This record gives sequence, C-alpha cells and structure tokens, in this order.
Amino acid sequence: MSNFVNLDIFSNYQKYIDNEQELRENIRIVVREIEHLAKEAQIKLQIIHSDLSQISGACGLARKQIEACAEKYQKLAGLVPAGQYYRYSDHWTYITQRLIFLIALVIYLEAGFLVTRETVAEMLGLKTSQAEGFHLDVEDYLLGILQLASELSRFATNSVTMGDYERPLNISHFIGDLNTGFRLLNLKNDGLRKRFDALKYDVKKIEEVVYDVSIRGLSTKEKDQQEEQAAPVPE
Amino acid sequence: MPKNGSAGHRNNAPRKRQTPAVQLDEKIPIVQAFRNYSNELTMKHDRHERIVKLSRDITIESKRIIFLLHSIDSRKQNKEKVLEEARQRLTKLIEVNFRAVALELRDQDVYQFRAAYSPGLQEFIEAYTYMEYLCYEDGEGENGTKSVSDWQAIQAVMQYVEESSKPKEEPTDGEELEVVALAEEEIPKKFQFFVDPTEYILGLSDLTGELMRRCVNSLGSGDTDTCLETCKTLQHFYTGYISLNCQRARELWRKITTMRQSVLKAENVCYNVKVRGGEAAKWGATFDQKPAEDVDEGFY
Repeated sequence: MSNFVNLDIFSNYQKYIDNEQELRENIRIVVREIEHLAKEAQIKLQIIHSDLSQISGACGLARKQIEACAEKYQKLAGLVPAGQYYRYSDHWTYITQRLIFLIALVIYLEAGFLVTRETVAEMLGLKTSQAEGFHLDVEDYLLGILQLASELSRFATNSVTMGDYERPLNISHFIGDLNTGFRLLNLKNDGLRKRFDALKYDVKKIEEVVYDVSIRGLSTKEKDQQEEQAAPVPE
Repeated sequence: MPKNGSAGHRNNAPRKRQTPAVQLDEKIPIVQAFRNYSNELTMKHDRHERIVKLSRDITIESKRIIFLLHSIDSRKQNKEKVLEEARQRLTKLIEVNFRAVALELRDQDVYQFRAAYSPGLQEFIEAYTYMEYLCYEDGEGENGTKSVSDWQAIQAVMQYVEESSKPKEEPTDGEELEVVALAEEEIPKKFQFFVDPTEYILGLSDLTGELMRRCVNSLGSGDTDTCLETCKTLQHFYTGYISLNCQRARELWRKITTMRQSVLKAENVCYNVKVRGGEAAKWGATFDQKPAEDVDEGFY
C-alpha cells in the first residue's frame, strides 16, 4: 500500500529552509557591516551636543560613513532575490531607519530642511519604488524621520546650554512643519502610529525650550521685537 | 481627498480662519512631500485590508468544508456525495477567491502581504489536504496511489489566465492600431497565486488535528479500521514533522506540540480498540441498528 504521507515533502522543505537560512546568514553579515558604519557616523555626530563649532566637521565625517553604506546596500540588493524584499526585510529595517535618521540629521544641520525620501534613497544607492528593485520603504523613511525629531529636541536643549538661543526657534519651526506633515498620514494602529504618538512629546519639549528662551528675552530676535514694540511708546 | 482630516468635522468653526491655514500648509515643502507618502501608505493599507477580507472569506468557507467533510459517516453511506460537494466548493475557492487574492498580489511583493492572506491559505490547505486524504482512504483501487499534494501541486492548480475584460474597442483610428491592440490581447496574461512552502507546511500540520478527530469519531461509529488507518497516517506525519530542523520557526514548533497531543490521543484510541475491541464491535453493532438521523449531533 502506498503511503498518504509523502516524506519527500519534508526533505524538500528542509532543503528549502536550509537555503533560506544560508541566505539569511549572508544578509546578516552585510547588515552587521552597515551597523558598524552607522554607529561610527552616530558617534561622530554626538559632538553637536557639546560643541557647536564642530558641527560642519562632524557632518562631513558622518557623510563619509554614510557614503560607505551605499556600497553595502548594493551588496544586499545583490543577495535578495527579486520580489522577496519583504521576506528578509526584518534584517535591515532597523539599521535602515537609523541611517535615514542620521542622513536627515546631517542634512538638517547643513541646510536646515527635511531631506526627502528620494534624496535619502539616492545617498544610500536605493530605489524609491518597489517595482524597481531594492528600495527604501516609505515606512522606514517615516520612522527614521521620527527619530530625528527626538534628537532635535535634545539638540534644542543643548544649544541653549551652549548659548545659542536662536537655534531652538528654528528647530521649533521645523518640528512644527514636520508635525503638520505627519498629520496628513492615515495611520493604522501599527508601529508607525505608536512612534508618531511620541512625536508630541518632542514637540512639547522644544516648545518649552522656546518658551524659556523667549520669556527671559534671551533670543536676540525676541529682543529686537520687544525693542521695536517698546520704541514707539516710550511715554 | 479631504484637504485636512479635521476640516470636514469642524463646519461650525469660523471658516475664514480655516481656509488660509490650509493654503499656507500647501506651500511648505514638507507638506507636499508628505502628501505623496500619505498616498503610498494609504494604498498599501487599502490593499492589505482588501486581502484580509478575501482571506477571511476563504477561512470561513474552508472551515465549513472541513465541517462538511466530518459529516462523512460509514453508517450513512454519504461519502461520495459529501466528497463531491466538498470538491466543488474547494474548486470554487480556487477559481474565485484565490483568484481575487492573486489579482491583488500581482506585481507585488507577496511577502509584504503575507500576514494578510496567511490564515486563509493555511485553512484552505487544511481543507484541501483533508479532502485528499478522504479520497485516498477509499480510492486505493484506481487512483488511490496518490498521496498528499505538496506545495508545487497546489501551486499548479492556482494558475490563472487574465480574462480579456476589455470588450471590442470601437474603431477609432486606423486599422493598424487595432491590429496591434488585438495582437496584444491575443496572448492572455497569466498569473498565479504564490503558495509559500512555509505556509503550506503550517497548513498541512493542521491536517493532523482533523485526522485525530476522524480517528475519534470513527471509534464512535464503530469503524475501527478507520481508527487504525488514520492513526498510522498521523504517526507518519509526526515523523515527517519532527524530522524538520529549523530555527526561528516558533509557529511551526507550536504546531508540532499540538500535533504531538493529537498523535497521543489517536494512539490511545487505537489502544482502546485493541484492548476492548470485541466489546466495541458488539456495541457498535447494536448501535448500527438505530436510525442514523439522530446520531448527527456530535460531529463538529
């Protein structure tokens, strides 16, 4: 009598799983290299919280590390079979978000605007649309940007400590725009939503800093405004 | 698309304050960029939701088919009829429901929506293989050599051809254009539903639960041969599953634990059949004389 259970199924599946494991192993090696580069970049950028004069230097150093990542992503793209991005994406989502955050921070420090998804993708050598291949996932981008908001709230506090009273105003404005942007999204009850909910604490923190600076008249812009207002009504 | 999520709700708020604020927003580059992200996210979520809905229908129908298959009772001689109905309903699932999912997944990364269709697919595989088992059980003669389908076999029945949905175009431009259009339509575009081996293995592992039920139910109807038969198949499955060696497969591991419980139950049934076999047969014989209709309960 033939057997209903064909044990070949299990040996075939074992082969299938083994192949998958091997590929995952290779992916992990590359991801670890990216992690290393990202960590370096992050360390370089820590200086902004203690020395404002070194910002542009730190950005330059971080850029070098980030540029090196593009090559690694190329490697990853070669490993992952077409149409299976999301099968393995759990290995690199975390580090990609971290890199997006670092890129966004560098661009903000250098130019003062929010980096677009297209620019990030270009810097990392990734595509923007799924159909083109190894791409930058939009959710990863958004999650990375949310990390930027937290870092900037810290930066706002520290720039005041270092005597730069203008910067928090700029940051506050920037985060305000960012908040407006995020409000346009129809979020599901998922990880992105949870992370977005934390954005309001960053906004609050920055607003507090701005308030403290304004009420004491520390900001020159504020001072000018006050003087202007005060001038026409001297007596 | 509404300009602003809250704009629609706040009709009683002073209008003049609202309108310029929205216009101002549009000038911010961030807002423009985020509109694109928003569209992309919404599209993804919508597709996900649609697949979840389709998958839910598949799950429900598959569960019903399994329920139907459990109504097979050697005393009622209804096997042929039930199998035929189950086969038709399964075919319908393949032709209609899976086709719809396949259409949604076309040119997409199937792994991105895996969580959305996985429950339906697993339940379907359970129903499909259970039907195959029941066919195998009594069909040892002609086509009974067929063992359970593997994922490639199931994949093979989920091939679809695009329907030429476009009706004949009305003649507009030159003839040549039309010929080109026709030629393109001539080759029907093929697509398929992708059966992931892992989903298959997980779905197949649920089959053992059904086999255990069949084993126990057969004892109830005095069909001891079926008890022994299903138990043997169960043991084979269990051997196959424990031979697998894979890390990071918590779901599979959980299912194997459940499977072990099923195997133990079935083995216990067989033990009882052997030990008190004579009694059961007698008891079953007296039971047989009762009208079959009122023993319908208990099969669920």
